[in-house]
Amino acid sequence: MTSQEKIQLEVEKTLQSLDGVKRAEANSFLFTRIKARMNKKAGGWDWIFSFVSRPAIAMAIVVLVMTINGWALWDSNTEDVVAADNSSELASEYNTVASVSNYDYENMTNE
Amino acid sequence: MINETELIERLKLGDESAFKTIVEQWQDMVYNTILGIVQNETEAEDLAQDVFIKVFEKIDTFKGDAKFSTWLYRIATTTALDHLRSKKRKKRFGFLQSISGGASEEKEQIPDFHHPGVSLDNKERAAALFKAIEALPENQKAAYTLHKLEGLSYRDVSEVLNTTISAVESLMSRANQNLRKHLEEYYNKHYR
Repeated sequence: MTSQEKIQLEVEKTLQSLDGVKRAEANSFLFTRIKARMNKKAGGWDWIFSFVSRPAIAMAIVVLVMTINGWALWDSNTEDVVAADNSSELASEYNTVASVSNYDYENMTNE
Repeated sequence: MINETELIERLKLGDESAFKTIVEQWQDMVYNTILGIVQNETEAEDLAQDVFIKVFEKIDTFKGDAKFSTWLYRIATTTALDHLRSKKRKKRFGFLQSISGGASEEKEQIPDFHHPGVSLDNKERAAALFKAIEALPENQKAAYTLHKLEGLSYRDVSEVLNTTISAVESLMSRANQNLRKHLEEYYNKHYR
């Protein structure tokens, strides 16, 4: 018998290996375990944790947090620019351009 | 013995003893179907629990158009296939998987699942066959498992999978072709 014929024979025997297979039996305590899970589920928080721990949901939450952080950062930068613009406008309007470092605190006069 | 319709009616009313009877009557059928698809005893037990919890929660949607066993098979098959899909997704997310990619491919070739209902003299061959079944596309895997492990006729398989008998014939024929191809490759490596 050639090796190819041996392989073919083995393949045929393998394909027939599930003929007459017996049904696998479930754990005899299956009902007790189901009841315990149903009672635990009725307790509440279980589904929230399982929902949040799904990879897609977890990734979405991370992206959302990063987006909010980015937006908050960008927003605070623009507020600083606007505040700086307002103070320089005010300074030029009242002609108080003199810098604080030029001020003579002892004589209370501008140099 | 209480008849099926009465049990279902009682379960719809939330009767716990009816639920217990249903679990005890169909637990092996559900477990064996799931085990054939997921090929892991611990996961199969957890999923069998899921199936019966779904049955308890969704019994109101069972209208009696199909047999109760067909409805159960459908939930069991869908639950098992959903589980495999979610496992695949998790693997894709795994960074370690990509690092040790080459090694895991080698590992996948080793048949490691032994169905408890297989006779001792067929143990090794059946393990090789289960490894080949694992590589089948979802619908072929479901049809093959229901027919071979649960002994369902093509008509019954078609009702579970909600398709025609000729579609099941075609699924089975393609499954057999794929299994033959996979096993030839396996034994070619094995004999060299």
